[in-house]
Amino acid sequence: MPKVLVPTICPYCGAGCGLFVAVEKEQATGIEYMPEHPASEGALCSKGNAALEVLYHEDRLQHPLKRKGDGWARISWDEALDIIESNLGGILRKYGPGSVGFLASSKCTNEENYLIEKMARCLGSKNVDNCARLCHAPSVVGLNRTLGAAGMTNPIADLANSKCIFIIGSNLAENHPILTRWIHAAKDAGAVVIVADPRMTHTAWMADIFLQLKPGTDVALLNGMANVIIKEGLTDNEYITKWTRGYEDLVRVIKDYSPEKAAEITGISAGDIIRAARAYAISPASAILYSMGITQHTTGTDNVQAISNMALITGHLGKPGTGVMPLRGQNNVQGACDMGALAEFYPGYKRADDPQTIKFFAEAWGVDSLPAGRGLTATEMIDAAASGEIKAMYIIGEDPANSDPRSNYTRDSLEKLDFLVIQDIFITATAQLADVLLPAAAWAEKEGSYTSTERRVQWSCKAIEPPGEAKPDLEIVCSVAGRLGLKLDYPDAASALAEINRFVPQYSGITRERLNGFGLVWPCPSSDHPGTPILHAQGFKLKDSKAIIMPVHYKPAAEDVSREYPFILTTGRVTVHHNAGSMTRRSPSLMEREPDLFVEINTADASKLGIADGEEVMISTQRGKTTALARLTDRVKLGVVFMPFHFPGTNVLTADFTDPEARIPEFKVSACKISRRD
Amino acid sequence: MPVYIDISRCIGCRSCEVACKRVHGGKGHVNVHFAGDQASVPLFCHHCEEATCTMACYTGALSKDGERTAFAVEKCTGCGLCRLACPFGVVWTDKLAHKCDLCIGNEVPTCITTCPANALSTDFDLASRRARTRAAMAVAHRAHGGRR
Repeated sequence: MPKVLVPTICPYCGAGCGLFVAVEKEQATGIEYMPEHPASEGALCSKGNAALEVLYHEDRLQHPLKRKGDGWARISWDEALDIIESNLGGILRKYGPGSVGFLASSKCTNEENYLIEKMARCLGSKNVDNCARLCHAPSVVGLNRTLGAAGMTNPIADLANSKCIFIIGSNLAENHPILTRWIHAAKDAGAVVIVADPRMTHTAWMADIFLQLKPGTDVALLNGMANVIIKEGLTDNEYITKWTRGYEDLVRVIKDYSPEKAAEITGISAGDIIRAARAYAISPASAILYSMGITQHTTGTDNVQAISNMALITGHLGKPGTGVMPLRGQNNVQGACDMGALAEFYPGYKRADDPQTIKFFAEAWGVDSLPAGRGLTATEMIDAAASGEIKAMYIIGEDPANSDPRSNYTRDSLEKLDFLVIQDIFITATAQLADVLLPAAAWAEKEGSYTSTERRVQWSCKAIEPPGEAKPDLEIVCSVAGRLGLKLDYPDAASALAEINRFVPQYSGITRERLNGFGLVWPCPSSDHPGTPILHAQGFKLKDSKAIIMPVHYKPAAEDVSREYPFILTTGRVTVHHNAGSMTRRSPSLMEREPDLFVEINTADASKLGIADGEEVMISTQRGKTTALARLTDRVKLGVVFMPFHFPGTNVLTADFTDPEARIPEFKVSACKISRRD
Repeated sequence: MPVYIDISRCIGCRSCEVACKRVHGGKGHVNVHFAGDQASVPLFCHHCEEATCTMACYTGALSKDGERTAFAVEKCTGCGLCRLACPFGVVWTDKLAHKCDLCIGNEVPTCITTCPANALSTDFDLASRRARTRAAMAVAHRAHGGRR
């Protein structure tokens, strides 16, 4: 039998790299690169190269299971659906739809996410969310408010046209490695690269100006830079007048943030703040890239708004090489948000508290009523589970027991649920708590569209059959919905996409037929529209086409160091792992490169504590304690320690203080102490 | 046609390691070395013009084939002399010797295509050309004085 190359989209980060799965005798036997791909040009990071290792892993969930004592009993699909029908259905009837929470999956396709939120809302529950809550909820809230659209404004490859690239709170060299080819191309053409991060990351290696700030002081830095830009007259006044409102308020607020004041708060020298501000403002085209270092704070929304302020006062939007670029972490977290798998938005970012939205979708979906108003967010659902407000949850392709902060509490809360259904490809830490487990197909075992961080909607084809009795999520969701009395009849992903085309304006022209090749970039309002790689070229989708400048004040992080907890713990990622690690920790060629949880500690701090490199140490916070191997380094400053969150130990330590608007937890700042184990 | 490295571009992502291992039946010929917290560089066979490994190999398993240092596995005895002879530590013996084969049979070595940062190429002059362009652009940018 000949080898067939099936085009798919990498299941890891949001960069959206294409890869061919080589199939021989119905088995995936290899990966081939895709040199024509517009974002990756054939490149693939270590995770992408190891992607097949997950498909045939012995831990794959192959059959529906139900809890039996401390273990699991294999059951048929019919029995699994019976159990869900009687339990979930029973709770819906007894306590009302508000007692059930749904977590959609930013690993699933657009079509699946659309159907999950449709199912939740048609059942009457407002409580549907996805793990964007833990990554870019502040971007969704902040950028929708200031720029009228949440998403990268410019394509990945367009970075090559930039003359100044400002990366703040993103370790993209490790987490979105293919971006670096475009950044290096820009550098070769004379671009200046600025990196702001509490750690000297691999990304910082590319920097011409490196700003090593204290965790949680981003607003002070950004306001300090805006102060310099305004004071030195480096603003684009024409742009400000034509396309923005609120500039005067910013001028008033920013007065308090002289570079010296910003230096005092951030720990960066005033000179470096001034240099960075000038470089960003005077370049003919500057782009800002950011990720979790900006969003995972109690001031996440403020941070995002401070970023969009910088771009707006210098006019670095709507043209090649410019932009505000939130880099998304999951392969389809952008799509899951676009599809309305968010507590505050219906598909296409229609506000859930707008009666027009409810009327529109009730008509569209042919139902009498839909729940109005914002539902519980992913983080709030955990509290609601603890308090008993939520009795049951249906979690698809997410692992809150590992990925949420304060994981001991998260686990205890989920255990209080009367009924928990988990649909996943492995028995994750969260799945350990379930009553019923539904085996799902992995990316190469199903088809559908995914939206990458650059808003590129791409079709991923099915290469092989799922293992055992596992099924594509779309099929499972339709069956479950059917048992709960809904009529979701979608024979395939294409039929769901056809419905999305009708009801999500940004996706109107993104039809299945047009997704051969390398996809389309939304907004794509009609079937002959070429897509919109660069947003805001002709103003903003807000009143009078004007963007909003939202001045923000610096607020310290929720937790500060104390005598008992003298170190700031910040969390992040390493290149060979992905998120909660349920996939990469099962991938041998990744695991052998980073097998253990470690904690980076400054050499001088370690020497004071008598800690040697490689030694096992205890890290404790007010939430809990965990052990990790000490990694002595000058990559972090005195008083700061870093741990990757791919291992279960880390989020035992983090706090669940959240941003008041976006409800994202402050993963990036916790006060901790470190001690030797002897 | 060895693979050349633009060290200023390496981001330490280890894609080359994982990819090399993937296409060579689980035995990779690249090791990414980290120079403290400051830089990283993939280490693999330089395909030396005067390759000491070929001189040490008494069975002829390692030999020069044009620019390439070729390896014929069927002649290898696993003695490990090549490993000792290699001045760069990029020939390994794990029962039998293994080292970069430039993915012979492929149009381009796998590590080059997979490298996210475009740090690897078969073009000897590329890194130098890039450095010269950067320098020229910096001068031009300074002369132009930015946007305003």
